[in-house]
Amino acid sequence: MSLAIVLVVVAVLSLVVIFLFARSRSLQISEGASLAARIQPIDVEAFRNLIDPAEDEYLRRRLSGTEFRTVQRKRLRAMAAYVWTAGQNAGVLVRIGQHALAASDAQTVEAARQLVDNALLLRRNATFALLRIYIALAWPNSGLAAGQVLSGYERVNGSAMLLGRLQNPAAPVRIATW
Amino acid sequence: MLQAHSLLWHYLWVAPNLLLLVLVFFIVKRGLTTQYSAFLAFAGLSAIAELAVYAADILPWVSPPEFWSTVRASLLIEGPVKFILIAAIFAQAFGAYPSLARLGKILIRAVGVFLVLTAALAAAYAQQDSPFANIAGVHVLEEAIYLIEAGLLVFIFSFSSYFRLSLSRPQFGIALGLGISACVHLATWAVAANAVLPPTKRVALDFVNMGTYHICVLIWFYYLLVPQKVEGITTVPSNAPSLDLGPQESLATWNRELERLIHQ
Repeated sequence: MSLAIVLVVVAVLSLVVIFLFARSRSLQISEGASLAARIQPIDVEAFRNLIDPAEDEYLRRRLSGTEFRTVQRKRLRAMAAYVWTAGQNAGVLVRIGQHALAASDAQTVEAARQLVDNALLLRRNATFALLRIYIALAWPNSGLAAGQVLSGYERVNGSAMLLGRLQNPAAPVRIATW
Repeated sequence: MLQAHSLLWHYLWVAPNLLLLVLVFFIVKRGLTTQYSAFLAFAGLSAIAELAVYAADILPWVSPPEFWSTVRASLLIEGPVKFILIAAIFAQAFGAYPSLARLGKILIRAVGVFLVLTAALAAAYAQQDSPFANIAGVHVLEEAIYLIEAGLLVFIFSFSSYFRLSLSRPQFGIALGLGISACVHLATWAVAANAVLPPTKRVALDFVNMGTYHICVLIWFYYLLVPQKVEGITTVPSNAPSLDLGPQESLATWNRELERLIHQ
C-alpha cells in the first residue's frame, strides 16, 4: 500500500514536471525577439581579476590566514555571481542560436549551430565551476577553477558576433584573429 | 457505461490503436519514414500488439492463461520499442551538439541504471494482487516498464530545460505524449500491482489508462501532422558599426555588443 502511494506521488510529480516544461516551451516559442534583452553584461576585467591566480597569491602573502579566508569567501561569492550570470547568458544565447537555426541561409545556420554548441559548453562549464566555487567556499584555501568559464565566454563571444553579423550583413565586420 | 465490455470500453481499447495505424500510414505517405523511423516502429508494433491483446480478450476460444501470455508477449515487444524510441529522441535532441552529447550519454546511462534498480526494488516489494503468478507478474512488469519510461522522459525534459535547449516540435510532441502516458500508467499500475483496489473496481483503472492513451495518440497526431508556425529570427541592430577584433579585446567587445543588443 505504502509503495503504491509512493509510486502514485512520483507519477503525479513527474506529470506536473512534464506539464511545466511543456508550458515553458510554449513560452519560449512566443518570446522571439525579446531574448536579447535578457542578456546581462559582465564586467569582464573584474571577473578576470577574480580568477587570476596571481591575485590569490598576492592576497595570501599580504593577509593573515583568517583575513585571507574572509576575503577569499567574499571573492568566491562575487565569482559565483559572475559565473551564474555567464551561465544565464549562455542559456539565452542557446535560445537565440536555436531561433536562428530556422534561417534559410546555410552559413547562418552553421554559425547558429556553432553558437549553440559553444553556449552549451559554456553553460556546462559554468555549472561545474559553480559547484567548485561552492565547495571552495567551505575550503577557501583550495585552488579556484573558473578559468574554463572565461575561455568559454571568449568562444561564445566569437560565435555570437559571427551569427549577429551573418543575420545582418548590412553591418560589416572584420574578425581578424582570435 | 464504465463497465468492462461496454461500448465505451471497446471504443477506448480499439480506437487509439487504429488511429496510431492511421498515423503510421500518413507519416509513410508523406515520406517521413527515415525521420520518424523509431516512432513508426513504436506506433506500428504497439498498435498491433494491443489489437492482438484486444482480440485475445474478446475471442471466446482464448483461455485466460493464453490471454495473459498474450499480454506478457505484447509487453515484451512494447517495452524495448519504447526505450529505443526514447533513445532516438535523446540522440536527435542532443547528439547534434558535441559539447553536450558525452555528458548527456553519461547522465542518461546513470539515470537508466538507477531507474532499473528502483523498478527492481519496487517489483520485489510489490504486494501480489492475484493468486495467479502469471497475472501478478504482468502487473508488476507494467509498473516496472512505466517507472523506467517516466523517469527517462522526465530526465530528458529536465536536461533540455536546464540547458535551455528546445526539443524540435515532433520530438517534443512524441516525448510529451509518451511522458503523459507513462506517468498516468505508472500511477494506475502501481495501484493495480499493489492490490490497492478490489478487482471489481479495477476496471476504472482500465478506463483511465485507455482514455489517457487516446489523448496521447491525438497529441501525436497534432505534433506530427499539423505544420509548425514560422517563428521570428532574432537579429542584431542594423546600425552596428564595423569592428576589428583583436584577441585581447574580444571579451570587452562582446560586452559592447551585448549592451547594443540590449538597447536595440
